[in-house]
Amino acid sequence: MSPPAPSLNRPRRWDVPFSSDMSAADVERLLGLAPFRDMDPGGFPRSAQLADILRNDARLRQFKPGEIIVREGDYGTSAFMVLAGTAEVVLGPGLPPAMVGRREPARRGLFRALARVWANPSEDEVARRSGQSGAAAVGRVEGDSAPGVILQDIPRVLSRLRTATIAPGDVFGEIAALSRMPRTATILANADGAELLEIRWQGLRDLMRYDPQLRTFIDGIYRERALSTYLDELPFMRFLGPDARKRLMDATQFETYGDYDWSGDYKQLVRSGATAAQEPTIAVEGDYPNSVVMVRAGFARVTQRYGSGHRTLNYLGSGRMYGFDEIAHNWRQPENRVDLQHTLRVIGYTHVLVIPAAVIEQVVLPAMPGAMLPPLIVSDRRSRAPFAAEPDGEPTGSRVSAEVMEFITQNRFFNGTQTMVIDLDHCTRCDDCVRACAQTHDNNPRFLRHGPILNNLMVAQACMHCADPICMIGCPTGAIHRDTFEGDVVINPSSCIGCSACANNCPYGAIRMVEIRDEAGRILVASDGIPIQKATKCDLCIEQFGGPACERACPHDALKRVNLNTLDDLVGWLKR
Amino acid sequence: MTWSRIQSRVLYPASLLAAGAAVVWKYLRAEPAHPRMVYLTGWCLLGLVLVLTVFNARKKLAFLPLLSARTWLRTHSWLGMFAGLLFVMHLRWRMPAGPFDSVLAALFVAVTLSGIAGWWLSRAVPRRLTGAGGEVPYERIPAVLRGLRERAESLVVAGIPAAGATTLADFYAARLSGFFARPANLGPHLFGSTSALNALLADLGNVERYLNDSEKKAAQQLAALVREKDALDLHRAMQLVLKGWLFVHIPLTYGLLVFTAAHVVIVYSYSGGAR
Repeated sequence: MSPPAPSLNRPRRWDVPFSSDMSAADVERLLGLAPFRDMDPGGFPRSAQLADILRNDARLRQFKPGEIIVREGDYGTSAFMVLAGTAEVVLGPGLPPAMVGRREPARRGLFRALARVWANPSEDEVARRSGQSGAAAVGRVEGDSAPGVILQDIPRVLSRLRTATIAPGDVFGEIAALSRMPRTATILANADGAELLEIRWQGLRDLMRYDPQLRTFIDGIYRERALSTYLDELPFMRFLGPDARKRLMDATQFETYGDYDWSGDYKQLVRSGATAAQEPTIAVEGDYPNSVVMVRAGFARVTQRYGSGHRTLNYLGSGRMYGFDEIAHNWRQPENRVDLQHTLRVIGYTHVLVIPAAVIEQVVLPAMPGAMLPPLIVSDRRSRAPFAAEPDGEPTGSRVSAEVMEFITQNRFFNGTQTMVIDLDHCTRCDDCVRACAQTHDNNPRFLRHGPILNNLMVAQACMHCADPICMIGCPTGAIHRDTFEGDVVINPSSCIGCSACANNCPYGAIRMVEIRDEAGRILVASDGIPIQKATKCDLCIEQFGGPACERACPHDALKRVNLNTLDDLVGWLKR
Repeated sequence: MTWSRIQSRVLYPASLLAAGAAVVWKYLRAEPAHPRMVYLTGWCLLGLVLVLTVFNARKKLAFLPLLSARTWLRTHSWLGMFAGLLFVMHLRWRMPAGPFDSVLAALFVAVTLSGIAGWWLSRAVPRRLTGAGGEVPYERIPAVLRGLRERAESLVVAGIPAAGATTLADFYAARLSGFFARPANLGPHLFGSTSALNALLADLGNVERYLNDSEKKAAQQLAALVREKDALDLHRAMQLVLKGWLFVHIPLTYGLLVFTAAHVVIVYSYSGGAR
């Protein structure tokens, strides 16, 4: 056994500040501006003082005229406040990706990849001396020191687009920062340039937590902007004119079930295997259909009564609707009305838009072409047994067997966009997948070929790159973040302080805390005598060409990364 | 039928059949006029064997974007079969003469047969493992076995004070301690027999007539542990087979390459100007 390495200072939250350029004078200046000057510094705890948050979790950024501040589709983990100048938000349709410099992150070249044969350390979990290793090198947080993209001839570009101006004092970027979703619009500095304050979401979260006024303000603008942005995603919006759209928007309510910081509840639910009957309801089977519910964030479970229990038919993720079929049916056949066919239940945390039936009947349905209307409801489904041999073709999409649906829902696997599923009828247990993973990550495998099993289907303990990555909720430094380009959840080892918050939050056991070593194989020990740990997990081989090595290494087509937000991937693979 | 199935069940077999038929037809036509055709088939065969061997190297270089292992395996399987045809043509449809050539040919046949056996095992065994339940990685088997043994022993020992008798403990010591101490019943598991498990459970059933109610409950729990252990043994046996066949196939392949290299040297040394 190697002797312990010389002791080091234990990593702390602000060891790596958002920007090393923030001076005391900058912080003083910010404290004199709204909304910070109206905050009560006494309301902040000693561990997270207002001035410390501004110094370490915020930075001042100067943008040249036409420079892109945020790009639509990128994943961002910070919000912005305009201090001087103005910015333009590009309303739909957005700028072409090529014009805003959106391109894939750099991958390892052939020779750098080949160098792994001799360059991989012989010891486990060796901390690389020079810079970042693994995903962090690629998964840069948006807005880092990379050169910005500047649009030329701003007046001409803007004259072709529908834009809105963001003035000093305005806040933007909070939707992506707070919901862990992609940026919803491209924003660029106006002709005079702009000075902005950028706050990473950990800082914004603390500011909101300790200043109720800011929380109310941010919540307000978040709801207002999210509502207008999200409504555009409704499939029937394209049939509506400006007046109808406005009427729809005015009538739509934004409702939230559960708490945003919901990871604890979620984990408990997963562990206890809570049944559908224990979940709160948004709408109940048999009730009069008085609104359409559209899921915006989180997930909702669609169930139907069967015997003395509740059968899960489907789960709905972002952008999926509930109740529209029944309302359309009743509008077409008022003499033959139907009730709600299913119950919609909250799973953990769910953001929904609620559109009253009256608006749907008066504004939406008359504008839709007949061919686009959903089919009439034939109410003979209740007699279908969940254990029927064939999936029953429910309109909600249950194209897998009832037990697979329950398995996915009960374990909350629907959150995964890159869930590792293994077909045990094809898996020869050769562990080529594990070895490939290890070879790609400095000889350290980043998943376990082990996990919950239903019949021949195993969901392995590998990061699923969740649609809503709740592991990110508690990270004090932003070390665990979404890759800007594709949104993969990656960890920056240089800013991970080993607090285990992400590992504790992950309900799927996909994040592992490891003791790190120096290149001589000695475990690095902090000055308090305790080994230094880092969080590790699957990064989808983000640096490699060709996608995840585990999937490519399986000779028997037994392993697949599937998006379980919808069932399409899984159904396609199971029927291969 | 999905594209993947069309590929594996129609496209690949049809391609192999067509290529095989074309090569045989061409060979039969050309061979009488070209007595040195055997050199061509030999070099083709060597090239094919080298290509087939590269699959193992691909596995070691998983971080390189060298197509998926699935594509490699399919290609490996079908090219392997094609190599069999080429091998027969290289032998000119005759048995090899001389000890060296016989060993070389035997090695080729052994590599081919072990490959086919591996192909069959990789399809048949996973379903048996899945059906047995109790999924466990091979490396974890000793730890799981230890856990089962500790649970079984605790169960038996804990029942003694309440029962005031050592009947179940005696039975455990006589009949089950060896079973829980180490992997067991390799042979029966390899051949899909459950006779060993049935015999153990029958013995446990027979001893029940000497047990009181609390001991009977413990005996039922013990029976469940016996079944768990049996499933673990099945996993060990079958995973051993799945891993073990490669330890036959790959060394045989290297042996074949060594003999082939010697074969090439010998042939050209005594070819009398065939170069």
